[in-house]
Amino acid sequence: MNGQAMNSTMQAEPLDTNTAQATPLAIQVRNLDFYYGKSRALHGISLDFPERSVTGMIGPSGCGKSTLLRVLNRMYDLYPGQKATGEVLYDGQNILAPGVDLNQLRSRIGMVFQKPTPFPMSIYDNIAFGIRLHERVGRSEMDGRVEDALRRVALWPEVKDRLQASATALSGGQQQRLCIARTIATRPEVILLDEPTSALDPVSTARIEELLDELKTEFTIAIVTHNMQQAARCADQVAFFYLGELVEVDSTARMFTTPRESRTQDYITGRFG
Amino acid sequence: MDGTSQQPAQTMVKQRHQSTMTGDPLFKGLVLTTGIGVLLVLGAIITVMAVGGIPAFKAFGPGFLFSAAWNPVSQHFGAAAPVFGTLASSAIGLIIAIPLSFGTAFWLTALAPPALSSVIGMAVQLLAAVPSIIFGMWGFFVLVPPMAHYVQPTARHLFGHVPGLSALVSGAPFGTGLLTAGLILAIMIMPSITAVMRDVFVSMPTVLRESAYGLGATRWEVMRQVVLPWSRHGVVGGIVLGMGRAMGETMAVTFVIGDSNHIGWSLFAPSNTIASLIALEFPESPAGSLKLASLMALGAILMAISFITLWCSRVLLVRSESQAGKR
Repeated sequence: MNGQAMNSTMQAEPLDTNTAQATPLAIQVRNLDFYYGKSRALHGISLDFPERSVTGMIGPSGCGKSTLLRVLNRMYDLYPGQKATGEVLYDGQNILAPGVDLNQLRSRIGMVFQKPTPFPMSIYDNIAFGIRLHERVGRSEMDGRVEDALRRVALWPEVKDRLQASATALSGGQQQRLCIARTIATRPEVILLDEPTSALDPVSTARIEELLDELKTEFTIAIVTHNMQQAARCADQVAFFYLGELVEVDSTARMFTTPRESRTQDYITGRFG
Repeated sequence: MDGTSQQPAQTMVKQRHQSTMTGDPLFKGLVLTTGIGVLLVLGAIITVMAVGGIPAFKAFGPGFLFSAAWNPVSQHFGAAAPVFGTLASSAIGLIIAIPLSFGTAFWLTALAPPALSSVIGMAVQLLAAVPSIIFGMWGFFVLVPPMAHYVQPTARHLFGHVPGLSALVSGAPFGTGLLTAGLILAIMIMPSITAVMRDVFVSMPTVLRESAYGLGATRWEVMRQVVLPWSRHGVVGGIVLGMGRAMGETMAVTFVIGDSNHIGWSLFAPSNTIASLIALEFPESPAGSLKLASLMALGAILMAISFITLWCSRVLLVRSESQAGKR
């Protein structure tokens, strides 16, 4: 296994062939190691997330892609025994450093999960929940913010007459769009999506993918996906993970046509994973 | 089982079949008997209580429920005072135990470091295992004196002249009474309420919890706005379960409640619960007497109240479980 060597090569010439070089970087991951207790799940990851573009993270189950996502908003912090070392630079600050305001960080780096997770409250309150956590907003402004968020995810026409109905009564696809609306309502800069369509039907999936295309004009997006086509359709750059290592990262076009690593080639052509 | 030779394998199968053929019905009959036994015992208890209480209901009519009299000399008995004492002491116990239990469960599930969480969690369970007679003795020797010497005088000093509150603190400082009983009850029911709350908090799906944290909510905000609404049925079920325990608790309460058939506002006034009254009066009630019948009737009332509360808590807990399963 020459992972160590390969990673150091990548640090030496980071993204030199990447078109994303021109855009400023939202998040820079440097030499990130991650541990679940004693077992090491990520090995020296270094990866840049360019601003206002979609970074797709692919790889077989257990390769560490979701783990990396959970480092970016320090979700792992909820669980004692999970530990990250290295650096994750966001807005000029290492977010792994002690003393980082996690609540503020998570309001700036939002997350959408694999399964839709509406809270047991009304549609309106689901959206208002996140806003209320961080801002004092008057009734009419709140109404506007809720409507705006729901419009952004194209859910407004479907729910505008039943905003006070329970969010759990919505369909799976609607619930997932609601969760995305809930996330963008707090006006984050980065949105992390952990296999957001894996529990949805093809039509709902297509709507979410369209949505990502619109959202990336305003947000930096990192999406973990099992679905190679989805990565090809949505992402601007794609990172391939294998056994806790970042094997390769490149623009989507190059990644799917001329990958540098044979392991990437094997994975995207479906030879394993 | 896929033995190398066919013959022994077949005999083994045969033997097994035979043994199940005889053992199964036997075992079935055995457990059926025990199951029906439970039903019979329960039925017998209810019957004895109800039948035993009939003379009291006959003598006093529905007025038995509303009369505060308890006079063995004039043979006048009523259920109102002990029913009041039961409900009041349980209510006080709940008012004290609910915040304690909630705080403990919240801390155990959301804040405590895992090592400490398991130690404290175990201690809470052990608290539930302390026999009630111990709580009674402890209450009588440890809790009652400071209640008499410090708590009630201080309360009277502070609230004795406040309109509306003065009634709550009136009376002689005996140390025994509703509040003392409520305190003991709170300590006794707190473990079970905590255990139920902890279970329903933990049963909330991780993704839902993480979504709330993912929006930048603090632990309290997650608890207050997501976990509690999600687990409300379970929480209320746990509280009602605790209430059921509190109302039936006998020994510890008997020690510290002060034995007085009396209805009043004062938190410090000696009182009686149904259970404590039965425990205290039963030895002095001759067979066939109206007093014994009244105690039996009280027992029937207590059983009815306990059944209703336990049934309510069961309904709520089942609803919370089915909700947990849905997501």
